[in-house]
Amino acid sequence: MSLKKYQNELIVLTALFLMVVAFFYKSAQVTLGAKQATQMQQSVNEFKEIVALKRVWADKKISKKIDKLQQLIPASKVKWSKKGKKLTATYQGLSANELNKLTTKIMNLAVQIQLLEIQKSGASYHVEFKCKW
Amino acid sequence: MNFMGSNKELLLVHAGMQRQFLSHDVNVMLTPQYYTLKREELPVKYLYQAKKIAPSLFDGLLEEVGEYDYMVYKEKGKWVFIAYNPGQIRSLLLSKGIKPEQVSKIFFAQQAVDAFESPVLLKDEKALVAIDDTVAVVPQSALNEEIKPIAFTGSFTPKSGVTLQGSYGSLLSMGQAIALACVFLLFAGMFFMEGSRYVKGSLATQEEMQGLLEAYPSLQSKMQRESIAEKYMTIDTAQRKKREIIKSLSGLIFKGATLSTLLVNEKGFKATFNCSDKKVLKRLEQLAKKENLTKVKATGNNVVIEGTL
Repeated sequence: MSLKKYQNELIVLTALFLMVVAFFYKSAQVTLGAKQATQMQQSVNEFKEIVALKRVWADKKISKKIDKLQQLIPASKVKWSKKGKKLTATYQGLSANELNKLTTKIMNLAVQIQLLEIQKSGASYHVEFKCKW
Repeated sequence: MNFMGSNKELLLVHAGMQRQFLSHDVNVMLTPQYYTLKREELPVKYLYQAKKIAPSLFDGLLEEVGEYDYMVYKEKGKWVFIAYNPGQIRSLLLSKGIKPEQVSKIFFAQQAVDAFESPVLLKDEKALVAIDDTVAVVPQSALNEEIKPIAFTGSFTPKSGVTLQGSYGSLLSMGQAIALACVFLLFAGMFFMEGSRYVKGSLATQEEMQGLLEAYPSLQSKMQRESIAEKYMTIDTAQRKKREIIKSLSGLIFKGATLSTLLVNEKGFKATFNCSDKKVLKRLEQLAKKENLTKVKATGNNVVIEGTL
């Protein structure tokens, strides 16, 4: 069979084949592009999360912020021991209001709570708090 | 040097030609019976202009059977127009046993006028001769006996010829094929361009990542990032849980229910509530369940809630 007989059809088929190849190339690139974009976006989000976590849990100003736990309560009721990156604080004779203030403050500080012990004694409260950062 | 298929055998197709039995492709040259010739001196410069006016030159000269194509070229300062009927040529070739698809190029005897220095004898007592720069078929009896005829060889092959487009039983004409191919190639080009554009699509995110890496050089290593993420994730999860528990337990304090003790450490938690009566106790138990605190134990007026972290 001579191919020349079908040369016009061959021209069209070749062009059609190229078009189909190009279409599959485009489809593959779209899929690959979307996958890469998702992966990259995921990496960016993870990076941002790490940065945010580091900002929260490795806050360089946290040491100063912790001092507010001492200032919040009258000094006569507080026994304060801050060594390096660790704190042990004991509060005695706290009113319900003072206890509320103290626990709210503790909750909002980005420190690692090691111990929080509250004991009611009559109308007052005894608190022992240990944390590190 | 001729690149137009001169290496193929050249057959002189004429009325008296015997039937051929071919197993290979050939070039053919047609004698003047199968084309109409006009030589004109026209004020046109370009070939495409000459081709445009070719049909009008043959008005009334051609048989009104089938469609004609035209070959135009310049020879000794004059435009040479050759009109031929592809359908008729196809029939002629078939009648001589030559399948149109076996024909690579078709040439016209007039194109090789310079090669006809002497007559070329044909089988049916006729001969091809060049008279006044025109190749014509004449009876052999009219030839001068002193002039020796020459053999028809491949050296008669002109530089350019024509092909019988669309006359092999092809479904598409060359024009249609080219038009369709152009459309497909256009789409192919569009798809390729679109495809390559998608690769560049994530450039914005890449730039964002680059910006972050520059801002935090200590996090450039992936291993370091993973290590830091693991460290702080663990801290974050544990500390958030502790705070959630404290928040849940503080939500259990209401009129009649007071917190007696609370212990939260690294391992777990334990809280004791004192209730004023059974009704308060029951409500506290219900609230604890709502907060997903399942390990609830009531002893007298006291409720102990504990759990692990």
